[in-house]
Amino acid sequence: MISEDISYEQLKEEIRKLKRKRSSQANLVWKRFTKNKLALIGFIMVSIIIFMAIFAPLIAPYDPYKTSPLERFKPPSKEHLLGTDALGRDVFSRLIYGSRIALEIGILIVLFEGIIGISLGLVSGYFGGIVDKLIMWLVDVLRSFPIVVLALAIAGVLGQGILNVVIALGTVGWTSYARMVRSKVLTIKELEYIEAAKSIGESNLAIIFRHVLPNVLSTAIVMVCLMMPTALIASATLSFLGLGVQPPTADWGSIIAEGRRYLLKAPWISTSAGFFIMFTVLGFNFIGDGLRDALDPTSRRN
Amino acid sequence: MKSYILRRILRALFTAFGVSLVAFMILHLAPGDPVKIMLGPYATEENVQALRARYNLDKPLHIQYLTWIKNIFKGELGTSIRYNRPVGELIKERLGPTLILTGSGLLVAVILGVLFGTLAALKKNSILDYLTTFQTMFWLSIPSFWLAIVLLYIFGLKLRWVPIAGMTSFSSTILPVLTIGLREQAWFARPMRAEMLEVLSQNYIKALKAKGVKYEKIVWKHAFKNALIPIITMIALQLPWIIGGAVVIEVVFSWGGMGSLLVGSVLSRDYQVVQTILLFISIAVVAANLLADILYSFIDPRIRTER
Repeated sequence: MISEDISYEQLKEEIRKLKRKRSSQANLVWKRFTKNKLALIGFIMVSIIIFMAIFAPLIAPYDPYKTSPLERFKPPSKEHLLGTDALGRDVFSRLIYGSRIALEIGILIVLFEGIIGISLGLVSGYFGGIVDKLIMWLVDVLRSFPIVVLALAIAGVLGQGILNVVIALGTVGWTSYARMVRSKVLTIKELEYIEAAKSIGESNLAIIFRHVLPNVLSTAIVMVCLMMPTALIASATLSFLGLGVQPPTADWGSIIAEGRRYLLKAPWISTSAGFFIMFTVLGFNFIGDGLRDALDPTSRRN
Repeated sequence: MKSYILRRILRALFTAFGVSLVAFMILHLAPGDPVKIMLGPYATEENVQALRARYNLDKPLHIQYLTWIKNIFKGELGTSIRYNRPVGELIKERLGPTLILTGSGLLVAVILGVLFGTLAALKKNSILDYLTTFQTMFWLSIPSFWLAIVLLYIFGLKLRWVPIAGMTSFSSTILPVLTIGLREQAWFARPMRAEMLEVLSQNYIKALKAKGVKYEKIVWKHAFKNALIPIITMIALQLPWIIGGAVVIEVVFSWGGMGSLLVGSVLSRDYQVVQTILLFISIAVVAANLLADILYSFIDPRIRTER
């Protein structure tokens, strides 16, 4: 109730305040995110890797696949920043090209498991009942396996190659998405606008796509950032074990595996490749941490 | 109480059933004939037929599954093609080393994690607290196999403090255990910090303070103990990750456990071994989760009255 003695100016101010409050939800999240210094650093780190992947041919000083028998096992120097490997290839150039493979696989995995997880989470949360029970049972089952172990077995059966790594890790890793989306859907389902949509006779499919999915999407995007580290490390692990990307492809995991054979002679191969993985994953972890804090202020320190 | 435990056991049984289905289906994911893949391109038709009959691969799927399960209960786990030995024998040999590695690794991880988490909570917003946050993210950003290689290089090859491979002596267990412990403690440090802060903000802690109980006593006798309880569940939840990490670490350190057996079997398409190890690991995880939940319900009565 607005009392009589409130002036027109005051009323305008009140309305402005209310408006600001409404639009500020997204702003607030963005503000909290950018205020988090670690998240900003993570953002820069990941940007560097993305930049490197896009402009690899311009940045890399050598052809990553060109072997030169006379240049084998050269330690880091001015000509070869991170030395050369057993075939005389420039390690630095290979690692720069490796960012392409890493990001490509990482993004494919996260998309693949995201699509499976989000759809199953939507169905599970929206319909409930036996379908929900069945999907959650599947989640329980898959979560009883170490991701790398089950993916290793699947990739082993399917055979080597990038696509098989994506399939193996995707079929195993979607459970986090499904859980997250499901719990979000359970709260959205109870809201009035869903009831309203139902009462005017909209079909379930329409409601899911037009009203539920858009509200779940922001959660899902955060999940993508949170899942990226696991995807990157797991795919590097498979390559390291000889099941993922095959040599001579410049992949960080298989470069570590190659370098391991010459660890005493040429320690720079394995160690520098690991730094690239660490740098990328750390960047995503910083971003993920910032996003989590920004979306859930209760978890903030202070 | 009883009904909660019964319900929980039933759920674990359902999960165990699903887990066995997944392990069983692995073989049938293979494009083409699994027997031909196992035996290689030069196998004779006779050998192929013999192997197919031995593994019941000529029968319908559900019969195959049931025979497989029945045999497992009888203790017949099949034969490894690579070693030409019973799978049960192989696993028995490898189980000990794996348990030692994962067990001590887990122990080190929990101790370090609880320690770091508690210190961070007690010195909230200090440098130590921020360092803990940073170090947990740092360790989780490192692939465990690379950490293993770096430690191996520094302490095995350069300083020569420990042997570089095998499991000959106590000193050869230090690096693999340290690799697991250092990295996986990060899973426990942050939850421990959060739990500790949560407990310290409770009213009964304030009441104790008001009563004039010494701060150290409040922290260690009351808060620490209560904050420790959820870590039981955390251990069970993180178990798959720790086992997964240990598999690769075994390979790097040539540790003769189930992990290196699994990787070798996957690479040589020795599916009987792969299926059995998958089943073993996942059943262990299901059992650990069941155990943790039951234990938790005994310690914290609120859980079992839920629902």
